[in-house]
Amino acid sequence: MLSALVFIPLLGVLIIGVGGFLKTDQIKKLSLCLMAIALGWTIFLGFNFDLTNPHFQFQEYLPWIDTLGLSYQVGIDGLSLPLVALNSLLTLIAIYSSENSIKRPRLYYSLILLLNVAVVGAFIAQNLLLFFLFYELELVPLYLLIAIWGGAKSGYAATKFLIYTAVSGILILGTFLGTTWLGGSHNFDYSNALTSAIPLGTQLILLGGLLIGFGIKIPLVPLHTWLPDAHVEASTPVSVLLAGVLLKLGTYGLLRFGLGLFPDAWAVLSPWLATWAAFTVLYASFTAIAQTDMKKIVAYSSVAHMGYVLLGAAAMNDLSILASIFQMVSHGLISAMLFLLVGVVYAKTGSRDLNVLRGLLNPERGLPLIGTLMITGVMASAGIPGMVGFISEFLVFRGSFPVFPIQTLICMVGTGLTGVYLLILLNKAFFGRLDEASSNLPAVLWSDRLPAIVLAILIVILGIQPSLMVRWSESTATLLAPSNFQLEQVSSIIIR
Amino acid sequence: MNLTEFLLQKTWWIPCYGLVGALLTLPWATGVVKRTGPRPAAYINLLMTVVAFIHGTIIFRSIWHLPPQILTFEWLRVLDFDLTFSFNISVINMGAMELITGLSLLAQFFALGYMEKDWALARFFALMGFFEGAMSGLAISDSLLLSYALLEILTLSTYLLVGFWYAQPLVVTAARDAFLTKRVGDVILLMGIIALASIAGDLNFPSLYRWAETVKLDPLIATLLGLALVAGPTGKCAQFPLHLWLDEAMEGPNPASILRNSVVVGCGAYVLIKLQPIIALSPFALTALIVIGSVTAIGASLVAIAQIDIKRAFSHTTSAYLGLVFVAVGMNHLDFALILLFTHAIAKALMFMSVGSVIYTTQNQDLTELGGLWSKMPATTTSFLIGALSLIALPPLGGFWSLLQGLADFWHDSGIVLLILAVNSITTIGLTRVYRLVFLGESQPKTRRAPEVPWTMAVPMVSLIFVCLLIPLIMQKLELLPTWTAINKSAAVALISSSILGVAIGYAIPLQKAWSRSLQLPLRMSQDLLAYDFYIDRLYRITIVFAVSTLSKISAWGDRYIVDGLVNFVGLTSIFSGEGLKYSTSGQSQGYILTILVSLGLFTLLISW
Repeated sequence: MLSALVFIPLLGVLIIGVGGFLKTDQIKKLSLCLMAIALGWTIFLGFNFDLTNPHFQFQEYLPWIDTLGLSYQVGIDGLSLPLVALNSLLTLIAIYSSENSIKRPRLYYSLILLLNVAVVGAFIAQNLLLFFLFYELELVPLYLLIAIWGGAKSGYAATKFLIYTAVSGILILGTFLGTTWLGGSHNFDYSNALTSAIPLGTQLILLGGLLIGFGIKIPLVPLHTWLPDAHVEASTPVSVLLAGVLLKLGTYGLLRFGLGLFPDAWAVLSPWLATWAAFTVLYASFTAIAQTDMKKIVAYSSVAHMGYVLLGAAAMNDLSILASIFQMVSHGLISAMLFLLVGVVYAKTGSRDLNVLRGLLNPERGLPLIGTLMITGVMASAGIPGMVGFISEFLVFRGSFPVFPIQTLICMVGTGLTGVYLLILLNKAFFGRLDEASSNLPAVLWSDRLPAIVLAILIVILGIQPSLMVRWSESTATLLAPSNFQLEQVSSIIIR
Repeated sequence: MNLTEFLLQKTWWIPCYGLVGALLTLPWATGVVKRTGPRPAAYINLLMTVVAFIHGTIIFRSIWHLPPQILTFEWLRVLDFDLTFSFNISVINMGAMELITGLSLLAQFFALGYMEKDWALARFFALMGFFEGAMSGLAISDSLLLSYALLEILTLSTYLLVGFWYAQPLVVTAARDAFLTKRVGDVILLMGIIALASIAGDLNFPSLYRWAETVKLDPLIATLLGLALVAGPTGKCAQFPLHLWLDEAMEGPNPASILRNSVVVGCGAYVLIKLQPIIALSPFALTALIVIGSVTAIGASLVAIAQIDIKRAFSHTTSAYLGLVFVAVGMNHLDFALILLFTHAIAKALMFMSVGSVIYTTQNQDLTELGGLWSKMPATTTSFLIGALSLIALPPLGGFWSLLQGLADFWHDSGIVLLILAVNSITTIGLTRVYRLVFLGESQPKTRRAPEVPWTMAVPMVSLIFVCLLIPLIMQKLELLPTWTAINKSAAVALISSSILGVAIGYAIPLQKAWSRSLQLPLRMSQDLLAYDFYIDRLYRITIVFAVSTLSKISAWGDRYIVDGLVNFVGLTSIFSGEGLKYSTSGQSQGYILTILVSLGLFTLLISW
């Protein structure tokens, strides 16, 4: 019954792709319906999810190509469930906020649904090869979505994305092959992948492959330059999916395969990983300050916020891992909201340039409600309490501080800088006096606002009641954390 | 369970009233309801504040002779990490809450008149509701994390309130500076909280105090921790070096300034007072508190006397008084800190109401363009006088008793005695100067037709005058006044003479408006030095701001041309090498064979090496 999440959108891809009889608005409605069913199904699964069981649930197994060791084996646990739910929700929102008069609607909607299939598949796959297949499958629709419906330089950005992700895929495939063969497993099942037989030196090399592979996807500095280009050229719904869900494939992969398969090697590298996370946060935050394109600012803020996920993963205790999962969801919601709002601003004013935009909060001729939502999103991203960004970051820092105090403090400087660059965005674009030239902006429809409002409500609810979210992942986080030994160790060093 | 008991259990509703009121204004603030105008939103918020005040009063009376009541509720429990918030319903905390809701009520009432013609009235009241909710939560919060969260919400609502008239350029920078300055303090405070959570385990104040009594910390760690905890209140209370935002924040609407200068800054100090036992783990951090407080107290009082903006002339004295509170906390005289916060809050609120009336009537904040208002605006003049008298040390009003308490506490510490006397004198000079400029002297074009303010502004102002006059009685009821025999007579004499000296100097300095900026160079330079806050903002612009912007430009440049440049270089290299190699497809098999042979040869050589 878990496979329904893969097959419902896949059904949509087939119907829309083959069915030439559907009209444009019917295609959109059909996609919406299917995604709503998928979201409902995710929620249903969530209700039947056993919170105390840290292992995979709703497992399904179908032999596929035995000689290769490839089987269709899926399952869901506390790490993948929130991400699957996030994916269903954001795909629904992305379809809803797509333009009604989009060109080549059949291809567009089937690609978005196909993207959803691939991402869900990757999150629930329990076979390394199956994960890889879905991971690569996701590349095709996203490439086309950026290249066909993108901006002026979309060809460049899409190709850059394609090459980067292909390299990432090759590294991941290589690691998976190495893990399976060296570990002496006869197939690629996740549960069979044993690394204890592999010497630590080899493990480090394999983990290095994963780190660079997924590091491209997350992205970590200096592997990140495809992301700002891709965001700037992609259309709003694609940006929402890219920032909200696809980046999570990278951090998910690190937690699932990096930490999950190579805990010993991970422990060796963890101080370097934490330093890398801190560097990523600072670098991306400083770079964001100097940008003038709103989308680039939000894109670099994505890079910075994904750094916190790596920090939590590096600290390797149950709280920090739980916080990493939480931070993924929280960043998914917040960045999706910011990209949606920037998209509305761009659609109405025709510009994202902070040197051009002024005074959009103007109540009569500007975009006051969009501005209000933007303030909410910015404050959530900057980590103001009462919204989900605060508690997820707080938990990351709380979990990581006992293990890596210096790196954690550097990352916290990053939260301060988040306030700086996002406030620059707010103050330049929304405050000030609206100039006469842009005084006849097209009206903002409720359908433009609704997705952002839904996300804002979720952000606030989860910020006030974080237990609604964390309880799904608690037991899995405990399972993923190898031990809590560092925590007491460091505290005892501090207190003499 | 009777009603009082029920209300006591539900004390945490009081902060919620303000927040609920803010949420209820949404239909008007977003423009969904247009037909009624924004007034109903204002009335809803006023009503919620009245409810909050009454609820608080009932509890205040009921717990009068009771020990503090603790309310706890579990917010988040993950793994072995427990975030339980607790509220401490004590007489002091409830008193602080009554002060907050009461002043908020008066300020909102005042805003009905002051903001009458503003189209965004609903948004203003929503933000005031947020302000009030966060502050009353802070008053009873017994958990460091909750206090931090509420401080951040105060930061956010300050940003939005200062940025209320967001179309004006000065407002834009003021709002940004207010947010970022406080944010610097808050982030450092959060670092301290994260460290505390890791070392001490629990973030509720009682268990932190127990922990602080027994723990032996490494001195370096204790100092860093103490300084981090000091940083948050430093930003919130507008203390040096995070003080400039309060001055700029005067660009915001005046009713918000009433709260900001009285209770919002006080909230930061209140958290500081609660943190004192933990900060005290580090003697260095306590010394830092005293230094910060003294520098701010002297510097800000001096800066205040050179301002020509009427609101800024007062906002700097707020910093100065809060500096005294910092000194008191640093010396562990919390009673003085609390009394000073109390009397200062009420006196300052009254003065800002009076200032608001002047601005409302004359549409002008420039001191050099005012004058002769005393006969035209009697209520405003009276409130200014009463507010000023209860701010400085003149018996029998509140300021005298609180400063006397300070002098009595520090009587053997001549440095601090001098500090308090100096702050009192300099503040008095400044207040006398403002009084002369605004209310005495000749009428100017802008003050010639100056009717008294409408009743919506006069009623809260006059009520607050009575509260100000009643402060000594309240203090006596609360047993805060010393008995006649216990009064330190020489301290009282010193204090009164310092006030009189201030008044005398304030009257003696020449104040011709035409040359308010002196023609003599040395005088003019020192005047400018003070008027521009010792040029500290320029110092920041060429240091911190410059460093951050340069660093960001460098990293953006490096990102574009080095990191991304390398990527593009790899791409271009492969394209060009491919383009170059394609000319080798000549179709002549000799060439291909030669290529294959040479490559094989090289390859063999490489393997057999």
